[in-house]
Amino acid sequence: MEETFVWIVWVLAATALFASGLAVVLFHNPFYSALSLIVNLASLAVLFLLLTAEFVAAAQVLVYAGAVVVMFLFVTAYLGGRADAPFAGGRTLQRLAAIVAAAAIAVEVVVVIVLAAGDRLNEVPEVPESFGSPASIGTLFLSDHLLAFEVTSIILLVAAVGGVILGSTVPPHHHPPSRGER
Amino acid sequence: MAGPGIAAYLIVSVILFAIGAFGVLIRRSPLIVLLALEIMLNSGNLALLAFSRHAGNEDGQIFALAVMVVAASEAVVGLGLIVAMSRLRADLDVDKLTTLRG
Amino acid sequence: MDVAAWIALCSPAVAVGLIALAGERMPRRTAGLVAAGATLVSFAASVVCLVALAGRDAEDRSEVSTVWTWLSAGDLNVGLSVLVDPLSVFMMLVVSGVGFLILTYAIGYMAGDAEERRYHAYKALFVFSMLLLVQGGNLLMLLCGWGMVGLSSYLLINFWHARRSAVEAGKKAFIMNAFGDATFALALFILVQHTGSLDFDVVFARAPEALGESSALAILVALGLLGGAAAKSAQIPLHTWLPDAMEGPTPVSALIHAATMVTAGVYLIARTSPLFELAPSISDLAAILGGVTILVAGVIALVQTDIKRVIAYSTMSQIGYMFVAVGLGAYGAGMFHLMTHAFFKALLFMAAGVVIHALAGEQDIRRMGGLAHELPWTYRFFLIGALALAAIPPFAGFFSKDAILASAANSGGLGWTLWSFGAIGAFLTALYTFRLLFVVFRPPMSDFAREHLHKERFEGPLAMMWPVAVLAVLSVVGGFLQVPGLWHEVDDWLGPAAESIEEATGVTAWFSALAALGLALLGIGLAWRLYGRPSEAPARLRARRFTGWFAHAFEQKLWFDRLYDFLFYRPASRLASGLGRYVEKPLFLTTLTDLGASVRGLSGRVAAAQTGVVRGYALMLAIGLAVLTVVFLLVS
Repeated sequence: MEETFVWIVWVLAATALFASGLAVVLFHNPFYSALSLIVNLASLAVLFLLLTAEFVAAAQVLVYAGAVVVMFLFVTAYLGGRADAPFAGGRTLQRLAAIVAAAAIAVEVVVVIVLAAGDRLNEVPEVPESFGSPASIGTLFLSDHLLAFEVTSIILLVAAVGGVILGSTVPPHHHPPSRGER
Repeated sequence: MAGPGIAAYLIVSVILFAIGAFGVLIRRSPLIVLLALEIMLNSGNLALLAFSRHAGNEDGQIFALAVMVVAASEAVVGLGLIVAMSRLRADLDVDKLTTLRG
Repeated sequence: MDVAAWIALCSPAVAVGLIALAGERMPRRTAGLVAAGATLVSFAASVVCLVALAGRDAEDRSEVSTVWTWLSAGDLNVGLSVLVDPLSVFMMLVVSGVGFLILTYAIGYMAGDAEERRYHAYKALFVFSMLLLVQGGNLLMLLCGWGMVGLSSYLLINFWHARRSAVEAGKKAFIMNAFGDATFALALFILVQHTGSLDFDVVFARAPEALGESSALAILVALGLLGGAAAKSAQIPLHTWLPDAMEGPTPVSALIHAATMVTAGVYLIARTSPLFELAPSISDLAAILGGVTILVAGVIALVQTDIKRVIAYSTMSQIGYMFVAVGLGAYGAGMFHLMTHAFFKALLFMAAGVVIHALAGEQDIRRMGGLAHELPWTYRFFLIGALALAAIPPFAGFFSKDAILASAANSGGLGWTLWSFGAIGAFLTALYTFRLLFVVFRPPMSDFAREHLHKERFEGPLAMMWPVAVLAVLSVVGGFLQVPGLWHEVDDWLGPAAESIEEATGVTAWFSALAALGLALLGIGLAWRLYGRPSEAPARLRARRFTGWFAHAFEQKLWFDRLYDFLFYRPASRLASGLGRYVEKPLFLTTLTDLGASVRGLSGRVAAAQTGVVRGYALMLAIGLAVLTVVFLLVS
């Protein structure tokens, strides 16, 4: 029973994932693209939950769907009509090559996974209840991966400062009157 | 583990990556390119978490969180660039922004 | 005596150094005095050597003084050495004595010239080189002096380097001399290889065994030496440079191209006489070349219109006499004629220089005439020189030329042939010499001369006139040093160095002397008839029409210049331009420029890949990723 339930959820989430992904990439209107991204992120969160990564799923929804996409929507609103760039166009060779390259990557990796590592991936160990819980993640962050924790906070700081500078207008430089002039 | 095996998750991740790559390669609006970039990063996250579950090790999840932080920061900076470009009345077309070359 | 010899050699070199280093700080006249003074010191030192040598026995009169071993390679040792023996002292006296007189003359002649100091320095350099040549203690020293006189000659011929004709004359002289230097050097190589030394006595002692009599080697050595001698002394066929060398100032012509350098060839043959005696055919060849030159130069001189060129061809002709003498083995007679020739030829050149100086540089005799009245002393000196040249007794030329002719008469069939050349030469000499004298000096005075003649208080500056006077005196008395049939001072003196052949005596000698004298007087008479009296213009024209074709040939200098231009110059220049166009340009120049262009093209094409379009770069990334995945798959 549980197995079937999981499978159904999985299939639904995966379908939503692909559909919204294609939607993001193929919509002309950037607003619609951003909204599709929200759906994408949400289905990803579902998949994360199925992988017993609760904290990461929560963070995904909070950070991504809650903050990043909101940022995108703000900028889209600010840009207004100019956000609409013509769809693809330009070089035909580029379009064709892009399709081919992306497909090639996908196919190759699938082949790798199926052929090379098919058997070994089937053994999934049992994990304790606390696997992926905020408590254990937090413990890890503050013990084994303390450096990563601190560095990420610095990265955020830098990004914030950078964003502020990029977004602000620089006031014209005001010359103080020099000594001799009156 | 209930549900499909790890391989399925990996295949999903790869296909999502391909969709994101396709989007980066094909769209001309920098905004959409950034969105497609987010999709690619997320697919990477999915793969990380799948392997973390497979290994029974939470380090993968830590890594995924770090990736998320980086992706967010990069989105901030990228959007800031777009805003600055639009203020300079530049054409928001990736094909037209070609001054970075030798 | 060694010290005196070294002083004689080095004092002109010191003069060169002084003048060169002092530069503009030395007054002009002082430069000339330094050069002339140094030559006088050399002369005094040579006299000291003469006295010292004369005090010794005849067999002991040869001393080599080496200062330093210059070249040491295996068994070959060549030193910086100086030879004092009768032959070298003889030449030293001639070179430094006549050189001193001419250098003094040059002080007056070149006064006021823009680069006077350089001139005196070059003159001193020349004296040094010539002394090195005659005093050289081994063949290599001789060759050094040989080369350096060629250099000094070049420097002095194109002294007025702004004149194109002078520059070309200098080049011509130098290149022809270089040809002679090359053959000389080749002969030296053979000598080194077979005798293992370059010292005179060693080479002469070993030569008969090492080279053999009349063998191919001996002939080659003698031929090489003859080539050098003929080039330096302007004998047929290497004579074309001498007339052009008259582009230099007159004292240069007097010193280098009359008295000393051109006689170096004669000296060489006399010095290396043992080697020439090993190859009699080449000795005979030298004599024949001399004989031919006597005639050829003589006829060309008949139609020259430049005063200096007449005297130049005369020089060529007289050296031909000397070559006849040394070629036949009459070394004493040849050297004697060298000495007397130095006297009267320098005298003639210097007197001509006075005329040129008085007419402000004009050298064409057709514009001269009637100068005897204005320049009486010059006329008298010139007359003395002409009489000496034409070999009229009791002037010097008679005795020396007679000695040569007498020796030739005593040398069998070849000798008599050459005697006849020499006799005809005597006729021609008298003819062209007195033609020159009459045209330049006899009245009427030409219009040109009337306008341009200018003279100072006396006919020329005093510095110019008194050396001329001294030479005139020498031309009168110098001949009495050796009177054929009576005493042979020169022959005896030179005996240890170069054994001379016997002269003819008795009836043959009288016949030879009288025949030559008669022909000379005939020549003077004919010249008087044609040129001496102005009213004889119709006679002159008649003579001209008869000899029309000959005159044209002579004016063309028998087309030697044209021949050499065709044989050597044109092919060489065509080869040079052909190589430049077909080898150098495509092979070297174009390769380099093509290389650069292709690199630039390639880099341009590579640079086109940098488009700046981000999507393109991203595509490249994706494609690379796809490829790499396949590679990883296959590898693992």
